[in-house]
Order: sequence, then C-alpha cells, then structure tokens
Amino acid sequence: MTAKNHLDGLKFKAQFDLWGGSLPRSELAWVNMLRQEAMAKFLQFGLPGPKMEAWKYTNLGQLNSGNFDLLTSSDRAGNETAPFESLDGSKIVFTDGFYNKATSTIESQKGVKFLSLNDYMKDYPEAAQKLFNKKDDGSSLQNLNTAIMTGGYVLFVDENTKLAGPIQIIHNTTTSSENKSITTKCFIDLQDNSFAQMVETFIGSDEHNYWRHHVTEAIVGKNAVLEIYQIQQESKKAIHTADTHVDVDQRANFKHYSLNLGGKISRTEIKPTLTGLQSNVDLRGAFLGRNGNSHDVFTHMKHMFPEGTSDQIYRGVLDKGGKSSFQGKVYVAKDAQLTNADQSNKNLILDRNAEANSKPELLIYADDVKCSHGATVGELDAEALYYLKSRGLDQNAAKALLVEAFVAEVFEDIKLEPVRLKYLELALNWLSEETKE
Amino acid sequence: MLEIKNLHVEVGGQKILKGLNLTINDGEVHAIMGPNGAGKSTLSYAICGKPGYEITDGSVTFKGKNFLELEASERAGEGVFLGFQYPVEIPGVSNINFLRAAINSVRKYRNEGEMAAGDFLKLIRSKAAELEMDPEMLKRAVNVGFSGGEKKRNEMVQMSMLDPILAVLDETDSGLDIDALRIVADGINRMRCPEKSILVITHYQRLLDYVVPDFVHVLANGKIVKSGDKTLAIRLEKEGYAGLGIEENAA
Repeated sequence: MTAKNHLDGLKFKAQFDLWGGSLPRSELAWVNMLRQEAMAKFLQFGLPGPKMEAWKYTNLGQLNSGNFDLLTSSDRAGNETAPFESLDGSKIVFTDGFYNKATSTIESQKGVKFLSLNDYMKDYPEAAQKLFNKKDDGSSLQNLNTAIMTGGYVLFVDENTKLAGPIQIIHNTTTSSENKSITTKCFIDLQDNSFAQMVETFIGSDEHNYWRHHVTEAIVGKNAVLEIYQIQQESKKAIHTADTHVDVDQRANFKHYSLNLGGKISRTEIKPTLTGLQSNVDLRGAFLGRNGNSHDVFTHMKHMFPEGTSDQIYRGVLDKGGKSSFQGKVYVAKDAQLTNADQSNKNLILDRNAEANSKPELLIYADDVKCSHGATVGELDAEALYYLKSRGLDQNAAKALLVEAFVAEVFEDIKLEPVRLKYLELALNWLSEETKE
Repeated sequence: MLEIKNLHVEVGGQKILKGLNLTINDGEVHAIMGPNGAGKSTLSYAICGKPGYEITDGSVTFKGKNFLELEASERAGEGVFLGFQYPVEIPGVSNINFLRAAINSVRKYRNEGEMAAGDFLKLIRSKAAELEMDPEMLKRAVNVGFSGGEKKRNEMVQMSMLDPILAVLDETDSGLDIDALRIVADGINRMRCPEKSILVITHYQRLLDYVVPDFVHVLANGKIVKSGDKTLAIRLEKEGYAGLGIEENAA
C-alpha cells in the first residue's frame, strides 16, 4: 500500500495493533476511532522517503531500521529541566511525551484556556473533535502523529486578551524513552487582537535513542500576535521532527524562532498560510551541527491574500561531520498582489568535512509582488579573522567571536531578553565545545 | 626596539620587498613614504604577521625577540599595533565587545588578570571622548556603516585602548577631512613618549605637518632608497618622486 517514493510504515502499524488501545484516551470511543482512521491514512502513504524532493536531505529510513516502539506510560522520573529560571508564569512539562502534572505550573488567567490535550479531550470532547476535523495537509507524518500521540496541550486566548507572560513548554525525557517514539501534538487558537508568546524547549539526555515527533497546529486571529521560540537540544542519538502549521489572519503577526543544536537528525517544518489581508510572518533560525548531526529546516510560506509580508532568515554553522539543509518554499497565489516575501539562508562551513545545502523554491502566480531570496555557503572571512588577531585575539577566540556574531544576528531583534540571552549562551557553549577539541 | 634586516617578502609568488633594512629606536617617529606599489602596506603586514605574506629572507626583531616566529595575536600581545589602511567591517560584533575581548586577550598574553568591567567602561568612555567619537558608535558593529573618517578614528580609539609600544600606521590619513586629520594626529601625538615608537606609512606629506617625524624614508621597488629628516618629506611634496630620481610604480 506504500505510495510512490515513500517507505512502508508497517512497523508502526504492528506497534499500533499491539498498544494503540492503551494509549491515553483510547478508552474514549471517538479518540479510538480518530487514532484508527489516522493510522489507516498514514498507511496509505507510509513514511516520507529520501526520493521525495522535500525529504531529500533527511532520511527517515532510520525509523524503520531502529527500534521506536510506542510508550503507553512513563514513570516521569528525573530530568526535570527548567531552561529558563528567569521566566515566570505558566510552564507545561511533557516527560517522554506525557503531560507531567507534578512539574507543570499552570496559572489561570481570564480569557485564557490552557490545559493538557488529554484533559481537554476528556472534558470537552465535542470541541476537541472539531480540532481534529480541521484540514488534513496530506502529510502522512501528521496522520501518524494523530494515531500515536500521547500528550500535548491546547491554548485558547480570547479576543483582546494578552497572555500575562510567556508560556514555557518543556519536552524532556527519562530512561523510559530508550528506543521509543515520543509523540505530542498541540493546538493554539488566538482570537482577534490577542497576544501570546511560547518558549518551547526539547531536551534529552545524550545516552538515549528515541524519535520525538511534535506537531503544533495554530491559528492567529485578526491583529493577533503569536511568537514561538524553540530550542532543540535533543539527545545526540535522537531523531527530532517538529512541524508547525499556522494560519495567520488579517494584519496578524506570527513569529517563529528556532535554534537547533541537538539530535542526530533534526527536521523543523514550518508551514504558515497567510489567510488575510496584510498578514505578516517572520521566521528566524540557526542550526549548528558537527559530529554526525544533520539539521533540516523546511519552510512552506503560502501567501493567499494581498499585501502580506514574510521574512525568513536562517543561518547554519557546520563543523566537521555536520550536515544541514534549508529548503524554503514560497507560494504566492494569483490574488495575493503586493506581497513582499524575503528569504535568506547563510551558512558557515568551519571544516572541509561539513555540508550545507540550500534550496529556495518560489512559486509566484501574482504579477505585482516583491520576492527575494539569497543563499550563501562560505568559510570565515580571512580578513576579519586577521583583523581580530591583530588586536590580540588568538585563533580560537577570533573564530568564536565571528561565529557568535554570525549566529547572534538571527536573534538580535528578540525583545524577550532572557530568551535572546539563552540562545546566545547555548550557541556559545556549542562553540566552546568545538574549540576544545 | 624594532630591527628589520634584509627583509624579503613575497605575496602570491610575487616579490614585493627585496632586502629592506630599518631600525627604529625607543621614542622615535619614523615616516615611510613611497609611490603606489612600492611595498608600503606589505611592510606593515610583514611586521604584523598577516597570513599570505611570506618572508623568504631576512629578520624582524622586536625588543630582542624574533618576531617572525610569533602569531599575529602574539605580536599584538608584545605591544605592536597595526592601524589598517582599510579597517575591516565585522557585522554582529559590537565595538565595545570587540575592544573588551582585545584588551583581555592582550592582558592574558601578558599574564595579567581581566580588566574589571567598570574600569573598562570608564577607560573606553574617556578614550572615545578624547578622540571625539560619539559614544553611541561604541555599541555599533565594528566599522559597519562607518564613513572612511569614522573608521580611521575607530582605529585610533582601538590604539589608545590597547596602548601599544610600537604603532604601525598604514595610511591612517587617507580618507580623512582636515578636522578628522587633526583629531587623528592629536591621537598619534598623545602616544609620543621616550618609551614608545611610531611608524607612519603615508602617501602624502599632509599628516607629517601634524605628526612631525624624526626620520623620513622613501620606499621604492621593495627597498628603502633614501632616508633623511622631516625636510625629505617636504622636498618630496614639492619635487615629486621623479625629482628625487625615483620612478613611480617602480614595482
């Protein structure tokens, strides 16, 4: 049944047949049905394969060759990471993909509904079903995610409501995650004129081998603002796939920042659709790879209405044994006149044995638009390096300063200072690991 | 302080310096003039260890040490400063962070502790004020979007912060209007003292009206062909290189 250029997903079916009924909320008939249907849809296609253009740089064949069994519960012990001591407010923790109530802090706010997805499915079954009835983007992984998800959250923000502070989402792991699939899903719905900031960290201990697949489905209402800040520090053995789908309405603003430093394989997919006049999307990210890391960022920006703006800035730093790819697809519909879409991907190669791929793809059907794209792959600027050395910085210090600056530029407009500083700190740590070698 | 003997330098296989000799003693200001392509910038890079400038013969000794064995950063640590003809733009690195890194690197090389943040800020503010640099520029990325004059002024701020023993200034006067030239010259003159030396490389005599040299040398075709006192610069300005029997573009 596997579709062309896909890999079969029979392994997941076998696991699902064994454990699907024991997954959270499978006791509810509608959830059980939802899972079954999603699994059937997934199997029609199978896993995306490396012969597919969009998956050219990330081979999920490893999901079939390794063990990624389903996990029906987690003892949730240990590894309680709090990446942002300086951020107050709500924090939701998923340990091995399960909502960890003990370490989560959910503060209530008028006009804001924020709770675990499993609780929402139990307490608001009708509304929850509607969430899942939304459009299917045809990606088999989304269906697999629905079939085997174990946790997640929902966030609803009423009109004219501003979240009291950023919400932290922490995805951590314990020894239970070894050789497991960790699957989470969340829904964000911001009504008109509302405002939310989410700071999401994926973290795992380096010994553990697991596949984490996280899906975010978001809607940003008219004039609303949604900012998502992701930090990916998965185990060095892990496969990490995170997908964000977002509809951005009239004059709304969606910002997505990401820093990828962990994992053996990481794939960050962001698919914003500009669904109203003058909506605006900013995507920013950096990926740092070495020693067998492979980072893949795939964006698909869909301009459906006039006068929308989108801006994408991605930077990669690849050292010995690191590999990356950036694929940025921009679609401008016939009616989306006066669209302004920019895209830039710069990569810095620190070693001959490193690889960076960059592939812009522009599909423009409107005739009065401004679209730009630029991609570079290069080494550190020898003139700048010498300039710094002539002022007393040794080779390593000069190199670190230049790489830090290269990465910092992506994050410089972040107003949430603790997050900006965290990004810089993590990038610096990564660099110092490198210079120690 | 600095002793250069029979220096031969090649860049990309091309012979640029062909047996240059120069001795600079403590407290002296030397000016090197010469036509385009004579090897003036090559001399400054060879002294300061730029990669790609291959020393094929001769020696450079600084304070008794074989300078050619040292990395560029170590030469800075020893107290040599190079003022660039074309200061490099470094996006994303603020002037202030750059200077802090530079000062602390040099201190580390000399086995001194890091400078306290408060002392550093005090020092940099006073140096910027001396050189009439807008303190806002300290927060901006190194040389990015700076005018030619601002870049040169920034070089002088860096120099006065690093407080070198020997300053090698490569065409520091180019691109400066008369007011900026005066400020930069004041900066150079402030450094003059019996323990410190300056090597000014220039195309024009103009800067030497403000920074009066003890010695003037003419560099042509990879060698110093004439040396004298400050009057040599004035003669050059009046009569040109040809008047002294030196071919332009000899290299």
